[in-house]
Amino acid sequence: MCDHHDRLKSNNKDLQSVEKQLDRRHFLKKTSLGIGALALGSLLNTEKTWASIGNSDNASVNAFTRNKLGLPHHLPKAKRIIYLFQSGGPSQLDLFDYKPKLVDMFGKDLPESVMQGQRLTGMSGSQSTLPVAPSIFNFKQYGESRAWVSELMPYTAEVVDDLCFMKGMQTDQINHTPAITFFQTGHQLPGRPSIGSWLSYGLGSDNENLPTFITLVSKNGKGQPLKASLWGNGFLPTEHQGVQFRSGKDPVLYLNNPDNYDGADRKRMLEYLGDLNSIQHDAYGDPEIQARMSQYEMAFRMQTSIPEVTDTSDEPEHIFNLYGKDSRDPGTYAANCLMARKLLEKGVKFVQLYHQGWDQHIGCPNGVKFKAKQTDQATAALIKDLKQRGMLDDTLVVWGGEFGRTVYSQGQLTKTNYGRDHHPKAFTMWMAGAGVKPGFTYGETDDFSYNVVKDPLHVHDFHATLLHLFGIDHERLTFKHQGRRFRLTDVHGHVAKDILT
Amino acid sequence: MSDTSDFVLFLGRFHPLVVHLPIGFLFFAFLLEVLGRKKKYEALTNAVPLALLSGFASAFIACVLGYMLSMSGDYDEGMLDIHFWFGVATTIIVLIAWLIRIGKIKLKKKLKIKANISAITLIVILLSITGHYGGNLTHGSDYLTKYLPFNKKEEKVLIPIEKLEDAVVFDYLVAPVLDAKCTSCHNESKKKGGLALIDSLSIMKGGKGGAALIAGNAAKSEMIKRVLLDPHHDDFMPPEGKTPLTEEEIDVLKYWINGASADFSSKVGDVETPENISKIASEMLGLGHSAGKGKIPNLTEVDDSILKELMTEGFRVSELVFDSNIYSIELPAKTITAENSSELNKKLELLSKIKDNVFWLYLEDNQLTDAHLNGVTQFKNLKKLKLNKNSISDAGVSQISSLELESLNLYGTNVTKESLKTFLKIPTLKKVYIWGTSISKKDIDSLNLENESPEFILGI
Repeated sequence: MCDHHDRLKSNNKDLQSVEKQLDRRHFLKKTSLGIGALALGSLLNTEKTWASIGNSDNASVNAFTRNKLGLPHHLPKAKRIIYLFQSGGPSQLDLFDYKPKLVDMFGKDLPESVMQGQRLTGMSGSQSTLPVAPSIFNFKQYGESRAWVSELMPYTAEVVDDLCFMKGMQTDQINHTPAITFFQTGHQLPGRPSIGSWLSYGLGSDNENLPTFITLVSKNGKGQPLKASLWGNGFLPTEHQGVQFRSGKDPVLYLNNPDNYDGADRKRMLEYLGDLNSIQHDAYGDPEIQARMSQYEMAFRMQTSIPEVTDTSDEPEHIFNLYGKDSRDPGTYAANCLMARKLLEKGVKFVQLYHQGWDQHIGCPNGVKFKAKQTDQATAALIKDLKQRGMLDDTLVVWGGEFGRTVYSQGQLTKTNYGRDHHPKAFTMWMAGAGVKPGFTYGETDDFSYNVVKDPLHVHDFHATLLHLFGIDHERLTFKHQGRRFRLTDVHGHVAKDILT
Repeated sequence: MSDTSDFVLFLGRFHPLVVHLPIGFLFFAFLLEVLGRKKKYEALTNAVPLALLSGFASAFIACVLGYMLSMSGDYDEGMLDIHFWFGVATTIIVLIAWLIRIGKIKLKKKLKIKANISAITLIVILLSITGHYGGNLTHGSDYLTKYLPFNKKEEKVLIPIEKLEDAVVFDYLVAPVLDAKCTSCHNESKKKGGLALIDSLSIMKGGKGGAALIAGNAAKSEMIKRVLLDPHHDDFMPPEGKTPLTEEEIDVLKYWINGASADFSSKVGDVETPENISKIASEMLGLGHSAGKGKIPNLTEVDDSILKELMTEGFRVSELVFDSNIYSIELPAKTITAENSSELNKKLELLSKIKDNVFWLYLEDNQLTDAHLNGVTQFKNLKKLKLNKNSISDAGVSQISSLELESLNLYGTNVTKESLKTFLKIPTLKKVYIWGTSISKKDIDSLNLENESPEFILGI
């Protein structure tokens, strides 16, 4: 008999009296239904129970003793990451992937030799023609690396020598939700842990007073919706999920105590709650209880740490000027970039930004122009700011969307206007900072920016490379769930060694 | 010999299995015979003929199968011959011993007992010899004695070299790769596929399928083709279950075949050596600064109690590579302020207990002064040092020029252009952050820097 498992045991007087009251009922329950229920419960819960032994117990014994997962596997280059997710699929053709030969092809049907029978979306698949739409924007080469950038990104053009362009990006998904889920979790269906959760699980926290993984979404975002599963923990212990800050003046609500409450006994209250929870945990072994406990404690610590880190009033004027005037307006992309830098300075490991609205099916030129204007200055400012502080040394910056856009026009093509549909087979992203080659371009597309002709980089490869920069062998960071060991890259992924310093 | 049918080889591979049967039977026969001489166990002798007969039958089958296996041609012929004839001899002696035992060969009674015991003793001796040679064939002739106590291993001693250019490509780069990944199956006694990769003679001789390599043409060389196949391909080398060659090892082999035309005496300096090869090579030989990069020194383990103490003092401690004993240490900004500045000394003193183990040290914005830097000079393995936003001047910086730093962050400190000289004295330095100091772009331009010098990051 293992009835001691779910018997309440406490040194607390109040709880002991509750225990006694329960005795008779407890006895009856044990002798009748108890054993069967216990057996069933342990059948259903074995995984959680094992998980709590193998995995989440680490949380209590961290940092000064060795990493329980044997991480990092090799010397890391990156300590932190900020991922600037451009949701919707920015048009590589109008921003970075310069294709001068397209001008001669204006309005001509996209050759079948380029399409190679690719299945299109329902949005442009039924079009009678697929007219080639060259970008109406001017491109120039910048910096010592002579990287091509369009006139829409004048600020980014200033920092190209710090960026590593990946022009041969490829994904398997052609629609937003599966594509963005794939990018953030390594699988097109929701339910797997996101990149940030894997890093938090694997490497732990650098600052106990702040979450390891924080998500910031630009306010007033229109376009494809974002959802919490993108920064979810999947089957990893819950404390590793991304904590989303609100995009507004108060990034975290209710940090201040309510009126007429001075907060003096808050700590005692939490300790008592912790006692209750740990009794519950002893009884059921559910690691979710531990996760809840650590989240309550985190919330308590965030009451002091968050106001400090989200307060930008001590930033000097020239920093605001650097990020652009939007940076004074909380919740904008620029303000989020600035806050991201402050979070990274405080030891947050993963800051995930989202900026929505890069989905230009119609009116692509104006749409891209508008989105570029919202993000360009702040993105470049972030690079410069991290660099001058010496943080770019060990901070990885990632810029990119979930896929690219087609060379042909969706809908009518005119001299000044066109639309572009989703394109998963070739698009551009860039990384900067820790361990990636600055002023470097990896991968190449054909003259239509439709197929990758050199050095393709699949989403799985991107994940493998990202983990590599953090000192992690992507094949060895695994978590056993439902009888199988899962990893971020599933059974795929190759580290793109050519882009590493 | 390659025309031997697969079926014969299939049967042949049962030889190692079947061969253990006669060994068991015959040793047991010996046991019965010896014990049977005692009155108490006399009855046992009745079983001896059966044991001998079974021994003979199984030994005969083992011989046939062994012959089939030998037709693969994978084995050293000299040793194979010895094993073969001893095997045959054992089988014949067993037959004779059995015949004596059952009385088909008639001997006088007294003689018979002697003949019995001596025949069976001879069998045991022959068995041991045959078995020994058989084992040598499969496992290599040094298998048995490799871990023999006091057995001095004779190893080819390579003289350590100073410069990469002086390294003989084959001896210093190729042979270690072959030894690590190939020679356990391709050696003098166990020539899988007829190939041995022991020395220049055996390598150039090639294997059953022809030459192992074509000098100057790695792409067409069999040994390169085999290691580059799909790992699930039947011809992939090394076979399943063994560790495949790394990309770097394959690059070295290719470089030797192409660059050095598979010559056995060329030195690295004699042949055109691409940058990636010299990098791999210096890493293999442990040479130069490029090798030092990313290499982790062997350090003693840090006492857990010191780490705990550091953490209670407010340091963030993380081990950079699991089980490497190298650490990244950070004192979060503003842990030390004007009010508690007296605590800094105590904290740094505690930290100096693990000074050799600190690789990255972050001390940003913590009231550090030049005096504190004196202690930091003791951290001889430091690669990355952040001292930004502290009241540090040129005098302080001049003290740390002995460190082999790669990255030094001094933004928002009091350093002036005087310190530029100090930075240039650190050959390993790659990045220096001096935003918000009195050093200007003009000061840096006036240095007329070469490409090798560190990058100075001034800010916007």
